[in-house]
Formats: sequence, structure tokens, C-alpha cells
Amino acid sequence: MKSYDLLSLAYRNLWRRKGRTILTVLGVVIGTTAIVVMLSLGIGLVDSQKKQMEQWGSLNMIRVHQSYSFPGEPGEEQQRLLTDEAIEEIKAIEGVVAVSPAYEVSGEAKLGKKVGYIQLVGIDPAMMEMLEFKAAHGRLLTAGDKFNVVAGSWVINNLWDPNDTLDRWEEPPQGDPLELLNKRLSLTLMNARQQKRIYSLNVVGILSDDSMENANTVFGPLAEIKKMRAFVEQGGQSSPDIPVFPGVDVEVKEPPRSRQRQQQVDQYSFALVRTADVALTRSISQELRDRGFNAYSMADSLEGIEDVARQMQAVLGGIGAITLLVAAIGITNTMVMSIYERTREIAIMKVVGASFADIRTMFLAESSLIGIIGGIIGIGLSYLISYLLNTYIGAAIGAGMGGEGTVLQVSLIPPWLVFFAVAFSMAIGLISGLYPANRAIRLDPITAMRHG
Amino acid sequence: MPLLELRNVVKKYRVGREVITALNGVDLAVEAGEFIAILGTSGSGKTTLLNVAAGLEKPTRGEVIFRGVVLNKLKEWQKVAFRRKQMGFIFQSYNLIPALTAQENVAMPLLFDNVPPRERNRRAAKALKHMGLQDRSKHKPTEMSGGQQQRVAIARALVHQPRIIFADELTGNLDSQTTYEIMCSLQATVREQGQTLLLVTHDRDVARFADRIIFMVDGKIVSEERGGFNHV
Ligand SMILES: Nc1ncnc2c1ncn2[C@@H]1O[C@H](COP(=O)(O)OP(=O)(O)O)[C@@H](O)[C@H]1O
Ligand SMILES: [Mg+2]
Repeated sequence: MKSYDLLSLAYRNLWRRKGRTILTVLGVVIGTTAIVVMLSLGIGLVDSQKKQMEQWGSLNMIRVHQSYSFPGEPGEEQQRLLTDEAIEEIKAIEGVVAVSPAYEVSGEAKLGKKVGYIQLVGIDPAMMEMLEFKAAHGRLLTAGDKFNVVAGSWVINNLWDPNDTLDRWEEPPQGDPLELLNKRLSLTLMNARQQKRIYSLNVVGILSDDSMENANTVFGPLAEIKKMRAFVEQGGQSSPDIPVFPGVDVEVKEPPRSRQRQQQVDQYSFALVRTADVALTRSISQELRDRGFNAYSMADSLEGIEDVARQMQAVLGGIGAITLLVAAIGITNTMVMSIYERTREIAIMKVVGASFADIRTMFLAESSLIGIIGGIIGIGLSYLISYLLNTYIGAAIGAGMGGEGTVLQVSLIPPWLVFFAVAFSMAIGLISGLYPANRAIRLDPITAMRHG
Repeated sequence: MPLLELRNVVKKYRVGREVITALNGVDLAVEAGEFIAILGTSGSGKTTLLNVAAGLEKPTRGEVIFRGVVLNKLKEWQKVAFRRKQMGFIFQSYNLIPALTAQENVAMPLLFDNVPPRERNRRAAKALKHMGLQDRSKHKPTEMSGGQQQRVAIARALVHQPRIIFADELTGNLDSQTTYEIMCSLQATVREQGQTLLLVTHDRDVARFADRIIFMVDGKIVSEERGGFNHV
């Protein structure tokens, strides 16, 4: 039989017994809804955690630091330093798409009347885009940049006017990051011998504020920051291409916080690693730790949450599965009853030329149709329930966590779940129809001739 | 070579400890284009004979040969293919599918033969028209009289132009006027199309439409008569 004929016949046969069919479909609707809503809770949990984490930093970024150990301590041989070879080694790890080493210096900055401490990080300008930096205003660094820098969205709030009467600790600063754009920022560095050097930096871009990790940092080209670092570390000799303004005297409030003074200049402060996708981040981060580095990624902390979600899904999904099992028994029961009623009809069809396969597919089409219709309605109902959960319960929890108006997404139905649920309910229908269909093909066609 | 041949066919049923002999050595040859009626009282084995001849039941002994093929040795799917292509069936109780319209009922053998819907509908409509039911094609069986339902069933038996039609007490539920009308059109149709008809009945008035009338008593063929009643 052609599939169009099958469907139309199956549809009409089901419609003949409206009440019974509707009840059977209802069973599948409840089963599907139970599974989908239950699974959506676990998915929603992981997703809302992910979103929250992404605010702090991208989930496919890893920050790598060197691991120290002091001479004579156990584990000395395992110490990993961030040298150029180490960077090359990290680059070679499968799944790593971009790596930039970074130098870090900090010093007192001045912008017009405003002063404050800033952290300046040197990275490879060519890698910026690959490392998921985004400019909200202006541009990112390019290969030719020397004293051009890009500032994080919060940097402006680290600078303030000392004469301002405003109490900065009580009144959270609301500086406009655009205040920095295309302005000169002067940075004073001081070395161990209390020598000062002042750099004039041009702010060419402001980073977008979707990553809080970089919000307080100013990024500059690696090569220049390396020279600054050399000055801080070694008290260095002035090199001609660094503009120095020896006459400008800025009062230094506290000594520069060069935390890792002992660090050699040929070792980087840290490295930024970008992985091909979120799923790989965790394993690469582990790989780096196995190789002796200190590696940290936002994705690492996702693991615990995913474990909880998995357990939750196993329990809730199990409840849903039992509901669907009951629905499956309902389908089988309905089909057996229907075959019992249609014994004569089946026999007639066999007499006029229906093959075993025709009869079997006819009944399997009916039971699958019950499954599909139940599945589709179940998806619709799941969306409704998911919406209600998010608007009422999600809003209540969200308000408790993040204040009025924050909605926590407790339930999320991704497209794959929709596809899975409909396919699954159809499979349930199909499987439930197997036993009745086999009963139907075993019916003797002479029933049509006798008892007439 | 006859179209259908039964050779010393025996059919026994076991009911509890008892063994009932429904067919007790039947020999019958049906030539192509013949209209044969088997006449006998209730319980004489007519239905059993028809079922065995059509391959719906296996004989206990003997052979059923259809177009040179031993039907009772075939596999079920092979017999299905024979029925689908070459055999038509008419029953006493019409045996229409209640959920389907007259036209869909008629088209059913074509449906199982994978004939596309357009062609199926065209041929079903034609068969219905032939039985004088062109204005009933969209009706369900329950919306029609017994005579109309049996005409639909006849159209279904003829729609795929089978070589042989098996009819079991096809007028058993009809009044004599309707019986007469239906027998007239059935006779006319099979004559016109040169089809073979094997009809069993307990009704002498029905049997006389056949070319040959075969008398059956207790599972045995006892005598034969020429029929050929002509209504025109
Ligand atoms: N499936 C069966 N099981 C047992 N006995 C049967 C069966 N079918 C028919 N019979 C018996 O075989 C005999 C012939 O029946 P049947 O062929 O139906 O006769 P008819 O059609 O002439 O009335 C009857 O005695 C009937 O009871
Ligand atoms: Mg009978």
C-alpha cells in the first residue's frame, strides 16, 4: 500500500472510535509532556548557569599561569614556566584555536584630572579578535600598534578626581567609558630602584561589557608591554623608542604592585587560550593541568552543576518515562481492542488481497499515528507549562536571587528535545503496535466467509 | 486445460473427538468463461468447497489446480498474490468495510495492488456505474439498502477484472425481487466480460442462472444439470 493511502486509512480508522482514540492519545500527551518538562528543568538549570558564567568570561577561554615551586621543594621538577616553548606546546594541543602570551604591569594612570591605578596587559594584537575580544567603541589592537591601547569597560571607574568631594565608596562610580576613547592616558611605572618612567598611551578602543573578566584591564601590544616590564624588573636602560617624560613628576601613593618580581622577563605573566568550542574547554584545561601548568576556565566550574543536572534529569526523566510506559500500554490495549472489533474487516481485506505486510503496516500506522499526535500535542503542552514555570516560579526565584525583574529560566526546551520527543513518542507508538499487528496478521481470512 | 480443477478433494474438520467430513472426494473442472452454480442444502459442504477452491483453506487430501498451479502447495503470500490479481469474492453478508464509502470499498483490491489513487477511483467509479450505483459512490454501507450493498460488493469483486469470481450465497439476505435483479446483472456482466463464476447457493431460482448446475449432498457431487436461464 502507498503511504498516503495508509495514513488516510489509519486516520479514518482511528477517528471511528473518537472517544477511545482521544483517551489513548491523551495518555501519550501526558507521557510526552512529563518527559519533556522534566528534562527541560535540568537543561534550564545548566543553561542559566552557563549564561551567568558567560557574564564573567567566555566559556571557551582558558587562562594559563606558570606553576612555581621553590628550589628544594618536592615537585620542583614539575614546575612549568611560561616560556616561548611552553606557548608553542600549548598551541599544538588539539582543540586550541588561539593562544596569546601576556605580560602584566601596573602603575598609576592619569587622565586629565583623574588618577588611579590600572593594570596593563600586553597581548598579541593579531590574536585579539580570535581571543573573543570585542570592541564596543573604537577598535581592537592591530599589528602596527605600539602605544595604542584598548581599555576594559570598567577602567574609567578606577580613575577619579582627588579633589572631588564625592564619596567613591558609597556612591558606585558611573563613569562613561567613552570618556577614555581617543584620549591620552599617561602611565607611570616605577622600578625597584624607585626610578620612574612615564608612558603616554592612546586609547583606541573600549571593550564591550559582556565579559567582566577583562572589564578592569587595559590591553596593549605585547612587545611594548614587554619592554615596560623589563624596565620594572631590571631597572632597565632606556631604549630610544620608548617616549620618556622625565620632567613630569607624579606623586606615587604606594609602591607599584609588581607581585612577581622574581619572575624573569623571558617568562610570560600568563597566557590566554581559546578552544574550538565549549565542550572541549574542560578537557583542554585538564590537559594543561596534567602538563603541570596552572589552568583555569569558567567551564571547569560548570562540571559540578552538570553533574547535579544529570542526576536531576535521571530522576525526573525516569518519572516521565514511567508515564510514557503507561501510555504505551494504553496504545497496545486500544489496538488489541480495535483488532478484536475489526476481526471480520481484517479477514475481508485478506480475502481481497491484503498481504501480511499490508495488514501489519496498517496497524503500525495507526499506533504510530497515536504516538505522533500525542507527541506533537505533548510538545505544545510542554511549551505552555515551560512558559508558566518560567514566568511564575522562575520570576519568583529570580527576584529572590537578583532582585525584582530578574527572571531565572528554570525550564528550557531546546529544538533537539522537540525532535527527540516526537521521534520517541512515534517509536513508542510503533513498538506498542507490534504485538497487536502480529495478532492481526495471524487472523484467519475464512472468518469472513463463515459466520455470515 | 480447465481454469480451475479440484481432484478428489477431501476436507475433514476435527471438532473435539468427532471428525466431520465436509468434502468427501470432490472432482470438479471449471472451464474459463463458465458460470457454474453449486446447489445443495445447508451443511452439504458448499462453503467449504468454495474456500478450498479459492485457496483460503487447505484440503485434507486431494489437489486444487488453478491455471496449472497446485494452489494448495503454495505459500500464503503466493496465494495472496493470486487472490489479489485473479480472484474476486462475493459473500452472503456483503462484507463491506463500514468506515469506507461505496467507491472506496470497490477500490480496495486495487489499493492492495498499489494502483495509484486516480486510476483506482476511475476504475471503481466505472464498476459502480456498471452496477447502476453511480449516484451512491460517496455513501457509507450503512446508508444503503441490502441490495445496494450487495451490488457494491459485486462491483468490488469485478473491479480488478479477475479471471474467476467466487460467490457464496450472495442473495441469502435479499428479497426475491432484488435477488432476481442482481442475478440478471451479474449474469449479464460475466457473460459480457467472459469471466468465470463459481457460485454456491441453496436457492434453485438463483442456480438456474448458471450454465451448469451441480448438485451437492453430504460433501459429494451427486449430479449435474444444464442451466442457462435467460431473462431476456
Ligand atoms: N471450521 C469448521 N469446523 C468444524 N466444522 C465445520 C467447519 N466449517 C464447516 N464445518 C462443517 O462442515 C459441514 C459443511 O459446512 P459448510 O461448508 O459451511 O456447508 P454449507 O455452506 O453447504 O452450509 C457442516 O457440517 C459444518 O458444520
Ligand atoms: Mg455456506
